[in-house]
Amino acid sequence: MWLNELKPIHKRDLVLKHPYVNAPGTLGFAPDPHQMPFLSRLGAFTTNPVSRKSRQPAGNRVCLPFKGGVLLHTGHPNPGIQRVISRNRHRWADAPLPIIVHLLAEYPETLYEMVRKLEGLENVQAVEIGIPPGCDSSLLEAFMEAASGELPLILSLSPQEITLLETVKNSQARAVHLAPPRGTLPNPKGELVSGRLYGPATFPILLQALKTVLHAQLDVIASGGVTTQKQAEILLNTGAVAVSLGIVLWNVHLGALFPEKPG
Amino acid sequence: MTASPLKTKLLEITQIGSSRAGVLDIQEKYWPKPGQYLSCQKFTEIPDVLTTNLFSILGNKGVLTLEPIPQNWTPGDQVQYLAPQGLAFQLPSSARWVGLLPFGVSPLRLLTLVRPALAQGASLILFLDPEQRDTFLSFVPSSLEVLPLSALKDNLDWLDTLAVDIKREDLDVLSNLFLGLTLSITGEVLIRTVMPCHGIGECGVCSVKTKHGWRLACKDGPVFRLAEILHVAQ
Repeated sequence: MWLNELKPIHKRDLVLKHPYVNAPGTLGFAPDPHQMPFLSRLGAFTTNPVSRKSRQPAGNRVCLPFKGGVLLHTGHPNPGIQRVISRNRHRWADAPLPIIVHLLAEYPETLYEMVRKLEGLENVQAVEIGIPPGCDSSLLEAFMEAASGELPLILSLSPQEITLLETVKNSQARAVHLAPPRGTLPNPKGELVSGRLYGPATFPILLQALKTVLHAQLDVIASGGVTTQKQAEILLNTGAVAVSLGIVLWNVHLGALFPEKPG
Repeated sequence: MTASPLKTKLLEITQIGSSRAGVLDIQEKYWPKPGQYLSCQKFTEIPDVLTTNLFSILGNKGVLTLEPIPQNWTPGDQVQYLAPQGLAFQLPSSARWVGLLPFGVSPLRLLTLVRPALAQGASLILFLDPEQRDTFLSFVPSSLEVLPLSALKDNLDWLDTLAVDIKREDLDVLSNLFLGLTLSITGEVLIRTVMPCHGIGECGVCSVKTKHGWRLACKDGPVFRLAEILHVAQ
């Protein structure tokens, strides 16, 4: 799947020119070279999460800062797979880097339907599956079976979900995308809100999770609150095949992550 | 819009009521129009986790004053920013009576409409919450008429346009204010909401429900037409 000389390249492998991808939910549904001058540094573009039918924003959507990070809860709003494809297929085809479409797995049947719609689309070179909270081994097996097809599969797992590794090892997944961990914080009204945690405070958690997943001999794209090139190198040297960049891509300037080359 | 970052310096900080405002040394061509925002970050080795979105407020002529300045910024700090983003207020050129309604927020952002309104020969009425009167009255130019919020309904017929500044979570309360009224005026609403990805990620945190469906405040706003927002359950 990756430029990994120890493994054979399969017919429909995804080859990354650079060992960086963006985390789902960070750059929208298609690359925009005008807004994203860092695109040339990425090896692939991951879309925002897409569901079969449209999803509205969560009523308690929120961005809650904490020391070293933020909690994001949005409900994964999106117009549904059909509209996402019709609005973006040409932009995907013309994009300067491969496209990975992140799909929200709700039921195996709907996941099957979504994956089939993506097969054959120009420059869509992999599918990433996001599983629902509480997904168990048998449901994961059903998801992986439903999603198997022409496109390489990447499975998105948070550190809390790496208990499913044994199932993943026996599945068609070509790699695991270690996703940001889930957490809970009170909102300004005092209500508890759960969501994903982003930012440098999550780096130690993801590095620990990376070691665990590597032990299971799976290829890993590691997300982890990376904000500097040094942190990215640590993940790659530990064994990740690629680094997933999260809200750092929302920074005004990415000099700490992609230093200017001299000369 | 350029996505390349620009650099500037924070020259001074001032506290106006609960607003922490500052002066940034920025070329006029990069000044945000009323309602637009600048995505900024302090230029340090390890930047803040998220950008700060700054809005212009009424300040001295020829000086760009913005808020809210983060607590960890101090005068002299180097700041990086992107060119102005978002949709600005569009004062109708024919408007002769302009209403300003800061709903539960400070009037400072709306007061940036004073100079353009006066320049086109319009008169302004500021509907100010009694709780804010003491704090902000001294900042209100004498050319404005200041009335309490309770006088809004009685004065709507006199207005050509209304500019509102409001937090997203108060939009339902705003709709209740206009319940049963037939609005004959145009209006625009600056909706205050967190915009962590400032348009680059379509993250959805800043989503606003309008008559034509969900929109993102960071890209489709943060100024929306009043008619699009009123009486739409959020």
